[in-house]
Amino acid sequence: MRTLLSATESTAAQTAAQTAAQTAAPPVQPVQALQAALAAEHAAVYGYGIVGALLTGTSQAAARADWEAHQEARDTLEAMIVKLGGTPVAASAAYQLPFTVDSAQSARRLAAALEDGVAQAYLGVVASTEATLRTFGALAMQPPANRAAAWSGATVAFPGMGDSRPP
Amino acid sequence: MLAASATTLPLFAALSACAGPNPLAGPPPLSAGVRSLLQAVTAEQNLIWIYKRTMVSYSALAPGLAALLAEHQAHLDQLRASIVEPPGKTVPATVTSKPAVPGTPAAAIAQLRAAEQSASTAQLRRLAGASPSLAQLYASIAASEATHVTALSALANGTPH
Repeated sequence: MRTLLSATESTAAQTAAQTAAQTAAPPVQPVQALQAALAAEHAAVYGYGIVGALLTGTSQAAARADWEAHQEARDTLEAMIVKLGGTPVAASAAYQLPFTVDSAQSARRLAAALEDGVAQAYLGVVASTEATLRTFGALAMQPPANRAAAWSGATVAFPGMGDSRPP
Repeated sequence: MLAASATTLPLFAALSACAGPNPLAGPPPLSAGVRSLLQAVTAEQNLIWIYKRTMVSYSALAPGLAALLAEHQAHLDQLRASIVEPPGKTVPATVTSKPAVPGTPAAAIAQLRAAEQSASTAQLRRLAGASPSLAQLYASIAASEATHVTALSALANGTPH
């Protein structure tokens, strides 16, 4: 079982994302960064299944829409990785949750954490030196940053860079 | 400052014929990356100015805008920290755009939203040619500004973010 927001899933992304701007982060390999983003999308698809089960009404509808958005993003990443000659990483059968999720409140918190993880993974793609991939990563991290803000009720100054959110 | 007059030109011509750096040539021109960074700093300063003026003009909006303003200040601090300044020089704190605050709160929020959207788009144009870490900073700030657009829309609609 893999941890839902595992550091090992997005090594490239986190290495780059946690680096202060004034330090020299090494460029990442495109396929490696895309694989990290795909792993984060797999985790989000799994996690939203739990989130949705604990919500009702419009919140559940929002969770469903976000779940579908992550499925679409996953498919996009898989196609990109194949096009680059890689083999897309597979989803795990199950993931270990980062904290107990047993209420609507904790489900919202999980959704925000999932989105933060996805944004962080896409920020790893931005560390690529390939211009098209950079732009792709920068644009792809905006929807998860927005969804994280929506679920948590607050924006952060630096999406994808590990800004902490209030519990 | 030396002027390129008829009397100084032969001196410069002679010096430029020598190999190695010219000690009289002054500081080297700014690289494209540094110019881009300075533009990002100015853009943040402009945004901060608009937020502050809007909050002064419409105090009822201030609680909803304070967090966004604080995030822009954090952006500015991080961008400025990324600039390696020569000894004795500082990054200018110049605001280059000072639009008038619109006549209604709704229009003021719309102006902020447009400024945020424009700033986010401009950050993406800075990605090419930036170092990986600086590109990530631009991308993260662009994403932050994208969340501000959404937050301002919610504020305009009176819905909780």
